[in-house]
Amino acid sequence: MAHQADSKRMLDNRGYSGRTLHSGNPAALLEKAVLDRIVESYYWKEQCFGLNEATLCDRAAELTCIGGTFGVAQKPTPFLCLLLKLLQLVPERDVVLCYLRQPDFKYLTALAAFYVRLAWEPKDVYATLEPLLADCRKLRRRTREAFAMGYVDQFVDDLLTKERVCATSLQKLPRRRDLEDLDVLEPRVSPLGEELEEIDEDVSPAEED
Amino acid sequence: MPPKRMTANPVKPSRYRPGKALAEEHSSDSESGEEEDDETLKRIPEPSRTTAAPPKAASFPSSTISTNLKKVDLNERRKEAAAKEVARLEQEAQAKAREEEGFETESSAASTKSDSGSTESEAESEEESSSEDETPQPKLLRPVFLKKGQRQTSIAAANAKSEVEAYAEAEARRKEKMDALVQEQLEKDAAAKAAGKKAWDDDDEGLAEEIDDTDGIDAEAERAAWRLRELKRVKREREAIELAEKELEEVERRKNLTPAEREAEDREYIEKQKAEREGRGQMGFMQKYHHRGAFFQDDDVAQELAKRDIVGARFVDDPMNRDTLPQYMQIRDMTKLGKKGGTKYRDLKSEDTGRWGELGDRRGPRESGYGVDERFRPDRDRERTGANAGPLGERKRDWDTPGGQQDMRESKRQKT
Repeated sequence: MAHQADSKRMLDNRGYSGRTLHSGNPAALLEKAVLDRIVESYYWKEQCFGLNEATLCDRAAELTCIGGTFGVAQKPTPFLCLLLKLLQLVPERDVVLCYLRQPDFKYLTALAAFYVRLAWEPKDVYATLEPLLADCRKLRRRTREAFAMGYVDQFVDDLLTKERVCATSLQKLPRRRDLEDLDVLEPRVSPLGEELEEIDEDVSPAEED
Repeated sequence: MPPKRMTANPVKPSRYRPGKALAEEHSSDSESGEEEDDETLKRIPEPSRTTAAPPKAASFPSSTISTNLKKVDLNERRKEAAAKEVARLEQEAQAKAREEEGFETESSAASTKSDSGSTESEAESEEESSSEDETPQPKLLRPVFLKKGQRQTSIAAANAKSEVEAYAEAEARRKEKMDALVQEQLEKDAAAKAAGKKAWDDDDEGLAEEIDDTDGIDAEAERAAWRLRELKRVKREREAIELAEKELEEVERRKNLTPAEREAEDREYIEKQKAEREGRGQMGFMQKYHHRGAFFQDDDVAQELAKRDIVGARFVDDPMNRDTLPQYMQIRDMTKLGKKGGTKYRDLKSEDTGRWGELGDRRGPRESGYGVDERFRPDRDRERTGANAGPLGERKRDWDTPGGQQDMRESKRQKT
């Protein structure tokens, strides 16, 4: 289908016939209340109209914080609005990987990570997001009342473990252990691999004593 | 614009009413337009008077507006504005001179003017002359009626026009001032944007800047912090694995025990729980119960708080034995003491009228006849006096005769 500039098709669930995520309308991954807030916000109406995968990068380059909704009126952050745009576009796998791996814009990376967690299969989620656990860049998080400091690896860890991140409830991800038992994944080797072994060696002689 | 009243009658001149602005009723476009401007107190500044400019949203990061702004030189504009001001003052002086010359004829024709526009501009010219310049007032003659032929309307019209022009220029000046102000504001915004990368429509910029998210300030410290976080994650994973393994072990072990041993272990566990519960204080008689709540179970702080013993806690004035209190004060929730509506109901047990646990003789009518006050006994068991004293005779049982009932009824009837 040709690129649709407005989001009418995504928002009206009756007879949705676009690309589906988890066998449903991608907008169903966000809650209705949050969806309403996003669609009524000025940022969505002005900046997110008619974006495609390329122009979305321009918007993402201007992001300065991650977060869900804030304030008394539950105003959505631009981050969340762009996430909804990504869900509407359902970009190709290559495009998303490109977003993730580009080194210049960390908020775009965070956005892509969030999208991956929402949209892809568990095996791909683990495989794609675990390299990001080695990324120690700082992120500005917007909480309901104020700002806080976060890191990319902390954000990715939250995505993998918590149930609710940035005003969205995440679908349950099977534990890594279960996937390892099913031989779908291999056990995780931490980037601290060598150091961990050293620590273990230090500890075990002490225990033997 | 359609006329105010949909009639074909000639428009009557509007009368002067003290304290009220004169209403405009004729349809001369330019004049009415300008007079509308005069009357409005607020005016929306337009970006340019020549072309329709795009709306001034701070959100559009359009390049054309910002480049145009960069071309704007405020100093030049100020010079231009000053020059225009000087020119305007000169013109006003000229207009005033002309005014003063022709004032006497104007005043004589003033009273009969149907051209209300010029009267208004005259009135304003009077204001201008009196408020702005401190030159002595021109001579005011008594208005004299001149017939139409005698009036010198051309001069008056010329003066009126000049007044209108002067006013137009005043308008233009004011608009320019507003434009200059808006330009300054936009320039400031653009500069801030260029310098500080101001987030889109963000009012909380100050708050946001407190959290500095630039990387590479102190690479070693950042790396160390990351290492700490990674270690914590690994530790968390390992603990989860260990927990799972322990559970499996436990299940295995229990399988291998005999049933008797399993029971013994269960009993031990239950005893331990009871001991814990007894360790806490008892709920006093009619003590208020506070439920801990079903949410925030994952919260560590909440779990610490949940371990407190609320039920067994006693404060200094807590009456251990509520019987010693007057009945009025024997209530569960002491916060409701003395408040309206809390008077009668004490607690469920005392208000309950059921007889729970009484499993004695339950044989209907006899019961009702004996255990109860004399007033509530059935009539059969009472003392019989008067007409009830003797026993009643048997009823004639003659229902089998054909029409038996009817005969009986009729026989009774005949007696009366």
